[in-house]
Amino acid sequence: MKTFLNKRLLGFIIPNFIVITIIGINKMINPLSGGVLVFSEFVILPILMGIMSSWFWKALKVKSGSLVGYSILNGVIAILLSFIFLGEGSICLIIVSPLIFAFVITGAFLGRAMFNRNHKTLNVSFVTLLLAIFIVDSISEHHYENMVSDELIINAKPDKIWKNVVAFEKIKSPDQYWLFKVGMPSPMQTTVTANEIGAGRKCIFSNGYTFDEKIVVFDVNKNLTFDIVNQPQDPEIMGHIDIDRGQFILKDNGNGTTTLIGNSWYKLHVFPVWYYDLWAESVTRNVHLRVMDHIKVLSEK
Amino acid sequence: MIALIYDSLLKLQLIVFKPEKLDWFDELEEEILKWEGTTVQLHKFGGTQFNFQNRELGHLHSNGVLDILFSKKIKAELMADGKVSEHHVFNKSGWVSFQIKAYTDVKRALELMQLAYHRAQK
Repeated sequence: MKTFLNKRLLGFIIPNFIVITIIGINKMINPLSGGVLVFSEFVILPILMGIMSSWFWKALKVKSGSLVGYSILNGVIAILLSFIFLGEGSICLIIVSPLIFAFVITGAFLGRAMFNRNHKTLNVSFVTLLLAIFIVDSISEHHYENMVSDELIINAKPDKIWKNVVAFEKIKSPDQYWLFKVGMPSPMQTTVTANEIGAGRKCIFSNGYTFDEKIVVFDVNKNLTFDIVNQPQDPEIMGHIDIDRGQFILKDNGNGTTTLIGNSWYKLHVFPVWYYDLWAESVTRNVHLRVMDHIKVLSEK
Repeated sequence: MIALIYDSLLKLQLIVFKPEKLDWFDELEEEILKWEGTTVQLHKFGGTQFNFQNRELGHLHSNGVLDILFSKKIKAELMADGKVSEHHVFNKSGWVSFQIKAYTDVKRALELMQLAYHRAQK
């Protein structure tokens, strides 16, 4: 009974210890990564964690339901360790959790199948292959840029909308997007130092964090483009995403309405992009829409 | 790999909404493993694959769909009885699908797997 209990516990402790150590060592020997979190840290390591756990649990004949439950617990421990030792933000961890759970479960069932067959050469080869992928992926260059565009019709002419695009007073309407409701900062206010190219602009978020911007195109009633020159050192975004540029385009529809287009360009530093870009697009889109809806309300008064 | 991840997400969904199904799947697997010459492995498209002498008899996805390979003649008979449905992808082959929705379906699934097992033994 004692051995069984120990093996069960070791299936949680050892894989988590090994994985957090690998991430720590990887950060130490690869400091130029600048906080980039690669595909293998979210995919290969959780799979390895699941495989290692299954090795400890192989003698316990763990049922499938328990294996899924234990894997979720393992994922929760890994997420908590990331929060404590890697300084990740809580919203980031909400975003990452489905991916971690899915890959830890996959690893656990892979491991169970591997150790049931007990083909040692094959098992060692497979784990070595996963480690090789991890190393190659960790030292490889990762680069991803994207642009998100949204548009909205406003029942006003561009000259009435323009001043609200350049700067606007505090948004008082309640947040609609679920991530804003659970604590992700939402855009609140924009200020500007002057109405000209080169002027400073600030986008202030609900938690007080500020994006410092510099106006690079100031085409009155048509185009406001600004580069982000400084973004807040928030653990939710620091090292994960760089917002590079924002833009508002106003198109006069000739019937008293205007199409307002909001564009944002960003670099993503978390991989795999097929997962994280879904979130980045969703968050960017909801930042756009919160601001653009506010501009619409102010302009249609 | 994507199929394995998808199957893991199905397991995650099951543990939240219908955890007893995972026990039914274990029961099915345990029964099949009692038959001489049978083994299990992960199926390439996610789920558990049942083999007899390293030849696949069928596989169970975590959404409860059990796919079994028969001859087209046996498939036609089973289809005529309404006991199985066309395979969810390969509907022109001898593959059939059987959905495990309730605990009573486990017994029926075992009967179908036994039929495939006896056929493979010949």
